[in-house]
Amino acid sequence: MTTIPVNFTAISPEIILLSVASVLLAAGVFLPQRGAERLCPVLAAGGFVGAMVAAAAQFHDAPHWSFDHTLRLDSFGEGGRLLVFAAGLLAVGVSWGAGGGIAQRAVEYNALILAAAAGMSLICVANSFVTLFVALELFSIALYVMVAIDTDSITSLEGGLKYLIVGSVGAAFLLYGSALVYGATGQFEFDRIATAIRSSDPHGVVLLLGIALVIVGLGFKANAAPFHMWTPDAYQGAPTPVTAFMSAATKVVALVVALRVLVTAFPAEAGIWQTGLAAIAIASFVVGNLAALRQTDVKRMLAYSTVGHSGFLLTAVAAHSDLGTRALMYYLTVYGAMNIGAFAVVAIREREIGRPVQIADFAGWGYRRPLLGTALLVFLLSLAGFPPTGGFVGKLYIFSAAVHNGQTYLAVAGVVATMVALVYYLRIPFALFDRDAVVPEPRTGSGFPLATLTTGLAATAVLVLGVVPGPLIDLARSAGASLLG
Amino acid sequence: MTTLLIFLPLAAALTLALVPVDRRGASGLALGAALGEVVVGAIALVRFHAGGGTQFITDTRWISDFGLGTDVRFNVGMDGLSLFMVGLTAVGMAAAVGAAIHAGRARPRAYLGLLLLLESALVLLFTAHDLVLFYVGWEVMMIPLYVLMAVWGGPGRRAATIQFVVYTLIGSLLMLVAIAAIGVRYHTFEVSQIHSGSTWLFLFFAAAFCIKAPLFPLHGWLPSAYRESTSEVTALLSGVVSKAGAYGLIRFCLGMFGGVAFDWRWLFLGLGLAGLLYGSIVAFRQADARGVVAYSSLGQMNLIVIGIFVFNANGLTGAIFQMVNHGVVSVAAFLLIGLVELRTGGDAFAQLGGLANRRPVLSTVFLIAALFTLAVPGSSVFVSEIYILIGAFQRNAWLGAAAALGIVLAAMYMLRWYSALAHEGDGPSVTDATPDLRIGELAIAVPLVAALVAMSVWPNGVMSRIGVAPERTQIHFGPSPPERDAQ
Repeated sequence: MTTIPVNFTAISPEIILLSVASVLLAAGVFLPQRGAERLCPVLAAGGFVGAMVAAAAQFHDAPHWSFDHTLRLDSFGEGGRLLVFAAGLLAVGVSWGAGGGIAQRAVEYNALILAAAAGMSLICVANSFVTLFVALELFSIALYVMVAIDTDSITSLEGGLKYLIVGSVGAAFLLYGSALVYGATGQFEFDRIATAIRSSDPHGVVLLLGIALVIVGLGFKANAAPFHMWTPDAYQGAPTPVTAFMSAATKVVALVVALRVLVTAFPAEAGIWQTGLAAIAIASFVVGNLAALRQTDVKRMLAYSTVGHSGFLLTAVAAHSDLGTRALMYYLTVYGAMNIGAFAVVAIREREIGRPVQIADFAGWGYRRPLLGTALLVFLLSLAGFPPTGGFVGKLYIFSAAVHNGQTYLAVAGVVATMVALVYYLRIPFALFDRDAVVPEPRTGSGFPLATLTTGLAATAVLVLGVVPGPLIDLARSAGASLLG
Repeated sequence: MTTLLIFLPLAAALTLALVPVDRRGASGLALGAALGEVVVGAIALVRFHAGGGTQFITDTRWISDFGLGTDVRFNVGMDGLSLFMVGLTAVGMAAAVGAAIHAGRARPRAYLGLLLLLESALVLLFTAHDLVLFYVGWEVMMIPLYVLMAVWGGPGRRAATIQFVVYTLIGSLLMLVAIAAIGVRYHTFEVSQIHSGSTWLFLFFAAAFCIKAPLFPLHGWLPSAYRESTSEVTALLSGVVSKAGAYGLIRFCLGMFGGVAFDWRWLFLGLGLAGLLYGSIVAFRQADARGVVAYSSLGQMNLIVIGIFVFNANGLTGAIFQMVNHGVVSVAAFLLIGLVELRTGGDAFAQLGGLANRRPVLSTVFLIAALFTLAVPGSSVFVSEIYILIGAFQRNAWLGAAAALGIVLAAMYMLRWYSALAHEGDGPSVTDATPDLRIGELAIAVPLVAALVAMSVWPNGVMSRIGVAPERTQIHFGPSPPERDAQ
């Protein structure tokens, strides 16, 4: 029995996040409600900034394993961590001034978002099925509670319950798949699994079944069709800042870890899982976009849009190439910014009218709040892949990866999906700038400055990434190179 | 010079977006920028060295190593084809901005800013020599058009916009896939370095351009878009934006896929001929002034496609010259219709008629526009159509004869158009008080007419400069290589 070497630097982001969460929980007992509402988000934001610094400091380190191969520290994983922390920071910004459960339980909410981020951060660098599962449960349980934190709202509770049940099924798939892979190879660590497969039968039934179940389990977290059924209810029911965080961060970790597992542990079976991912991608394109067409609730529509976007992200993973990895990292960054931004605008409108936002609630609003309206237009154009937004460069990147891999049909499927998507995306700007609509009365009182600032940041990011994509492409390149380096 | 042409309107558009000026200020700024663009374009025209290939080049790296060692470059410059497309954009936009100010559109900062953004994107796409950069211009061009149509359009604007978006985006995204594939296959996005024999890449590009042009039968978006948009936007759609489609066919489909395009020429010639005759006949049946010019545009654009795909120098030269001519003519026609709509509130023939009584200036300008559209001998349109016809006859006598029939039809529908507006009895919307053109309105129309007259008097001024374009776009005339025929 060897002792496992301990490396605190490797897990410093998680340590920072969980420490701040613990401090919050301990101090929360003594804080008055008003003080908690103000102080907790500031502390949480501080935690995210600290974690970002810790992850950024390791970004350019040479790739290495830690904790006896249970963690893999490389630019790819650090990139994923940074995206998660950025999403967390923006989500805290959107949460500022929110009412309901987020305000009443400010201590718990902020501690939970930190804990969720810690779990997500650990997944980004996980190199073993055991670490992966533990971290997955850490963030999932935190998210189940966060979705249901509006205990006064029946939809919030319903969304939380559905997410809990379906999410647990997904986790069970993942666990069962890991067990089968362990049974076939005798290893939990991704790189050792690959070594073990090389000296045995790469196409054993148990192993292939295990891989399939792992993909299904991660498919649930990535809300790819047909494993997406929890998405609309959870996204719609959750408080909007939570939805914003989930839509960006969960997707990042699910895709990052899926790519790492498949590329590191199962390169010998690439032909099989590439086809499987392509099938899931096409299913996501079809289901997500067609279902979104029928929605009138903006959050529900955007939820289905994220299902459709799983198709693009999985296309990048299915490419199984350096180009695909880069494309994934690039698109995940843009994806996070545009989704958080879109949900942030929804959150602002929701607070103005005090009920869930229907598309009709945006009617004429673009003339009342022109900057927010324009920002939402930018997010939707980016989701649809128009230049000069980041979504365009991301799509071009992903199409390149698909064509390079000989999966041109995936690119064409993505084209068709985008066309359908435009039909429902465009409903929002039509409403926003409908000149026949009665322009809503201005709201007195709070202008939600931090949520507006967050929206502005996200819109700026989406535009800058489209006009000056060079720096992020450089980062994505080193992330891609570090994965197997 | 090219960079200035791209960024001058963009800077003005951003200024309008960010600085809260009033209507006067916005109008002044937009008109100043649009006229400035014309001045810069005129300087470029004068300094352009005929036969000198691509000029006014700016070439820097935009995105380094996009993947697989492929750079995306900010590579812009003008050859004869680009030069005249840019000139058409500048002139057409200046007229449209003037008309928009005259019509007093709501929310002038946004409206004029979007027009200038459109101009910037158009100039970018007409001068880009990098596929990704071209695509950026192509798509950024669409955004202001969507907004202009959806916000300032007529009662059916929503359905019209959705139709327009879906049609154009099908083509655009297929082209995006093709661009990605070219980057992967050839490791460059530089147009002049790509020579491909791939049929599906060619068809993906062609789809985008033929929808925008539009080539028959891909024109489903056209009638409602032309009818629901404001007259300035319709003028630009028909006059300038449609030319982006024809430009793309010449620069990219012929330039990069010469052999494949030649193999597929009969598809395009057949559809072009069908579109020419269909558009001309339907134009004759329209009950409103916009409908006639809209279907006439459809026919003219299909004639241009014929000129492009006959694959000889006469046809191509005629097609390019006709792109310029038709651009100016249709901008003028739609802006004039817009002026009539301002007076009478509509453009249905049932409501109009008798405009020639007591309104000599208005009817004269209308007559000139009609005469140019029907290619009266002596006009520049006549020259360009004759070139296309000669090219068509060189390809096939029957093709030439059938195309000539389309030109005869043009005379019929344009004369009906003019007489329904200007002659016959006074329509219900026309009264003695309906005013003639004012000086300010003449300032919109006269420069366009002057440009047409100038090109009629001195067609060689245009032809000598675009004459270099066929060589510079590296079109491969003649049959494709034998190994492709063997397949």
